[in-house]
Amino acid sequence: MGMASMSSNGESLKLCVFDLRRGQNEGQELDKILFFYPPDVTFSTQLSVIGLSEGLITFTRLFSPEAACEVIEAERHSHIFHEAEPDIWMVMVVEKNKEIEAIWRVDALQKVLKEVHSLFVMFHGSVRSLLDKEPSGGLIRSHLYPFITDYLNDLSVGKKLQLPSFRETLKERGTVQMLTLARDAALEVQSLVGVLDSCAGTLRCHSVILFHDLLVSTTLSPDDTVDLFTFSVMRLTSNALSSGTSSWSYLRKGTSLSQTSSRSTSPQLLVSSDSLPSGNGNDAGRVIRPLQHNKWSKGKDGFLVTDIWGKDATPTIWLQQREERVHLLAYQHKCLTLVLLVPTEAIVNGELDISFVKHQVTENASAKILKVEEKLSKGWGGENAYHVSGYRYLLVDNDMEVSRASPSGKVATLAKETLLAVNKLRETVDTEKSRTKEEKDMEICIRAKNNAWAIARVTRGKELYMALEKASDTLLDATDSVQSFSNRYCNGTFSMD
Amino acid sequence: MSSRPSSSQTSVGSGALSHAYIQHPSLRCNVPESRGLFYDDANRLLICVTSSQVFSWETATFNPDVSPSVDSIPEGPILSIRCSLGKKVIAVQRSDCEIQFFHRETKQTLTHKCKAGSESILGFFWSDSPLCDLAVVKTSGMDLFACDSAMNLRLVETKKVNVNWYIYTHESRLVLLASGLQCKTITGFQLSTAGVVRLPKFEMTLATTESNSKPIISPGDVHLITVYGRIYCLQVDMEAMLLHTYRFYRDAVVQQGSLPIYSSKLSVSVVDNLLLVHQIDAKVVIIYDLFVDSRAPVSAPLPLLWRGYQGSDTSSQQENEGTESSTSSENIVMYEDAWTFLVPDLILDQTNKAISASSSDRSSLLEFLQRRKLEANKAKQLCLGIARTLILERRPATQVTQAIDVLVTAYSYSVKAGIYKELKNEKTTATTPTNDGASPDNERGRASGSSIDEEEEVEMNLPSGSADEQQESQLSSPAISPDELYKFVFASVEEAMVEESDYLVAIITEFLRSISAEKLKVDLNIYVMTVRLLAHSKRFAELSLFTTNKIIEPSKEVALQLLESGGQNLRVRKLGLDMLRQLSLHHEYISSLVQDGYYLEALRYAQKRKVTSVRSSLFLEAAFASNDMQHLAAILRVLSELIPGFKETSEYYTFHGLLNETSSSVAV
Repeated sequence: MGMASMSSNGESLKLCVFDLRRGQNEGQELDKILFFYPPDVTFSTQLSVIGLSEGLITFTRLFSPEAACEVIEAERHSHIFHEAEPDIWMVMVVEKNKEIEAIWRVDALQKVLKEVHSLFVMFHGSVRSLLDKEPSGGLIRSHLYPFITDYLNDLSVGKKLQLPSFRETLKERGTVQMLTLARDAALEVQSLVGVLDSCAGTLRCHSVILFHDLLVSTTLSPDDTVDLFTFSVMRLTSNALSSGTSSWSYLRKGTSLSQTSSRSTSPQLLVSSDSLPSGNGNDAGRVIRPLQHNKWSKGKDGFLVTDIWGKDATPTIWLQQREERVHLLAYQHKCLTLVLLVPTEAIVNGELDISFVKHQVTENASAKILKVEEKLSKGWGGENAYHVSGYRYLLVDNDMEVSRASPSGKVATLAKETLLAVNKLRETVDTEKSRTKEEKDMEICIRAKNNAWAIARVTRGKELYMALEKASDTLLDATDSVQSFSNRYCNGTFSMD
Repeated sequence: MSSRPSSSQTSVGSGALSHAYIQHPSLRCNVPESRGLFYDDANRLLICVTSSQVFSWETATFNPDVSPSVDSIPEGPILSIRCSLGKKVIAVQRSDCEIQFFHRETKQTLTHKCKAGSESILGFFWSDSPLCDLAVVKTSGMDLFACDSAMNLRLVETKKVNVNWYIYTHESRLVLLASGLQCKTITGFQLSTAGVVRLPKFEMTLATTESNSKPIISPGDVHLITVYGRIYCLQVDMEAMLLHTYRFYRDAVVQQGSLPIYSSKLSVSVVDNLLLVHQIDAKVVIIYDLFVDSRAPVSAPLPLLWRGYQGSDTSSQQENEGTESSTSSENIVMYEDAWTFLVPDLILDQTNKAISASSSDRSSLLEFLQRRKLEANKAKQLCLGIARTLILERRPATQVTQAIDVLVTAYSYSVKAGIYKELKNEKTTATTPTNDGASPDNERGRASGSSIDEEEEVEMNLPSGSADEQQESQLSSPAISPDELYKFVFASVEEAMVEESDYLVAIITEFLRSISAEKLKVDLNIYVMTVRLLAHSKRFAELSLFTTNKIIEPSKEVALQLLESGGQNLRVRKLGLDMLRQLSLHHEYISSLVQDGYYLEALRYAQKRKVTSVRSSLFLEAAFASNDMQHLAAILRVLSELIPGFKETSEYYTFHGLLNETSSSVAV
């Protein structure tokens, strides 16, 4: 087992999933553990983490039955809670150390938990449903283990897991980044969507279209869109396929590293599937690992192929909104990635029908795909397309689960103090938001130690965070800058008095 | 002798299966002691002669009540008769060497003779070319004369050709002179307003068989037609059973392929740029569209029937169907030997119905219809009907898209070509039923059983001039504007398709893409409709995409629809609110904000934009309802600043009183 090196990291991060409905009798406590990371810690350690968490949940529920504790700040650790499904809890324990990098925002860490859970649900269905399928828990454990481990692999930089720190404060996990389209391009795209809609006959196909790592169109609900978008950017887009080295998207980094490690004998998070607990609920007796690296490639016909789901098997995922299982077909032309979701009812004859759908796509949509790609490439502003000079910003639309931010390269030029101030600012807004459930307008300005301004404006579900580093600016200048930004780039959404 | 009105009604009886019709009732000319009927294609006159009188009917204006004009001429044989283009002079060919001219006003006469024995006159026609007014075709060639108002003939030019026979149509201004043993060597001249152009000599194709090694072409085998402003010559090759087509260019004659023949007797006519080949023995008409390269007929062979013909009416034997055909001036006998008619016409609408039933490719059908000029309104109605049906039958989106593209492109083209602009005036008359068929004599009630024909009658403005004039004088075009497409296609199918809104939205998207590509605009109600459809099928993510990408163009109506549809979804409601704000519709924006309970935000906005049109009680009541006295106090204060004299209103008094009652601690 090549996990020795994990013990050094093991201290800094623990992540567990447990079910409060299980193991309530003495001696059966192990039953409630569904997942624990790092995997090589003793059961007693695992039980002590989970026991503490469970105790805190039970205790806080006394005061707040609806929403139990979200975070516990201990002297040396932070415990971040997320109730993924009723009584299914995910807890992340992060070590506080002297390193300045270890400053994070609780909400950002919670978003990690949310993300891994919703991705899991997209591929495997809910944790509860797998538990119901096989009450012994073997099935869910055999699924959770490789899944979360593969997911964490994406966060590893070098030998360390890198959690979203304050440096990523001008980013928002769990949102979609969109490409701004001109009307004529948008019409071409929608025209393509219309064709994709009907590729499986009368049953409507959903589709998600990306250009580079940006969303171009979707027919899914915002939640499903976020999941599929996240997965696509992780594994399917042209950037993801081209080994991710030059991915400018802030979402995914360092995939190349884990790729090399998975081939070598150097220490890694996951050795091989042999070491996994055997899953016996799966029809093939084999656990599917949708987040496995290096498993997708572009076929001759433009469709992306993978053997993750078995040889020549088409991936399937769950759509939350409709609780519908769909086949996933991905097609790529240059930087344009189409994800087509075919209802399972439309696929009666297995691969025969799949190849029919593929044929339909190439037959009916190729011309439009070429046209759309051409149009988008023409209007493509490059990685820094959404850079606004003089500003470092993050724009979040919570309704549509969409965000836009200054390119990470530009954010990296900010001073550490500025980033810390923005981080602080975001924490404040997070707290304020969680306090009142109804949407409120608010504006917060912070003067950082280096005289930079960190400004937040929140209005009816939309948030704008901004860092302005011009030291000479007065508060008036700063708010004026925000005002003109709002007018120019946000249709005046954040324009206040 | 009687003149009868015409109507475009269909008989439900015998004509039920037929799609090509002869207009009925027809122009009747029961002239006693008639010696013959002639058609003067240059003036569009139907001429009936007796021994000493000439009766002529205008056919161009298609006035049902026209009475013939009567002229007296000296007695004598009449081989042919034609009026000068000013209709001042009547020219009569008396024999193969003599033409007589009669001035209708001055009663002056003039006789023109050719050299007897050495040559003979084959015929003559009037011309509007600047060079000459009259052309006389003789066996030795063609003489061109200028003719002044005093009726003096002056020989301008002589074209020396050996001529066996000739054909001429005024429409094409083209005369073809046939020479050679088989009469297949053709010399052509165009006597156009630009001058006299000599066309290159060409040989017609003739197959030979054992039984007939030297077939001869007769003038009846050759037809000149004009379609889409192009001049073609059609030539019958009986041995090969083919109808050869030649197209005339200024400096070349190019054979264009051949059509099959199924009858030993054959004639052609042209209706609205469509070629109708009458297979007389087979008693059918085959319709071709020479615009497309394909030589396939546009419909199955159709029987030619008399529209409104009641079967028992045997008096038809003497009737002439003289309507404004563009092509041949030749009398042909069809179906019943005694029927003489010039060219059938007014068949277009029925033709189209036949095609729509028999053609499976809708977009090429629409293309075809969009090229129709005659009865453009009917073509237009048919196009709209086809588009509606395509959608209602839920045809594959690609097919509908193609069809819509065809319509939008045709419209865009006609706007650019300036045709549609003229149409605008006509449209108003065409779509107003009261203006329908300006003539009160239209007896629409005649065929009372017919309900097929809902379309209005379209004026027959038929061209009498050259191909160019023909283009210009067309006042209407079947082009359909985007607004009309919205109104008559999308809006009209919305109700029926509401459960298939996904499909309809896809079609609308294609429509929008199509008009955007042509840089056209459309009634903004289509956007309202799109919002409604997307909201109906709960496609909120796409609704948001459509709105943010401005596929749905922002407008007050759209914003209000978003607010309404947002009843089911807050996100959608916010889209509507945002749109109101971006459009600076302050009043609506503020009212909607208050309605959603954001009365503070609303008031702040009102304060900033100095909007006072929103009832102040709205804010106050909202604040009072939320039971927040601090807010109420703040609002009172802001309102007093915002609205002059607010402190004197009863409203202020009421709420100020309420405030004091509830909480004395809050100062106003």
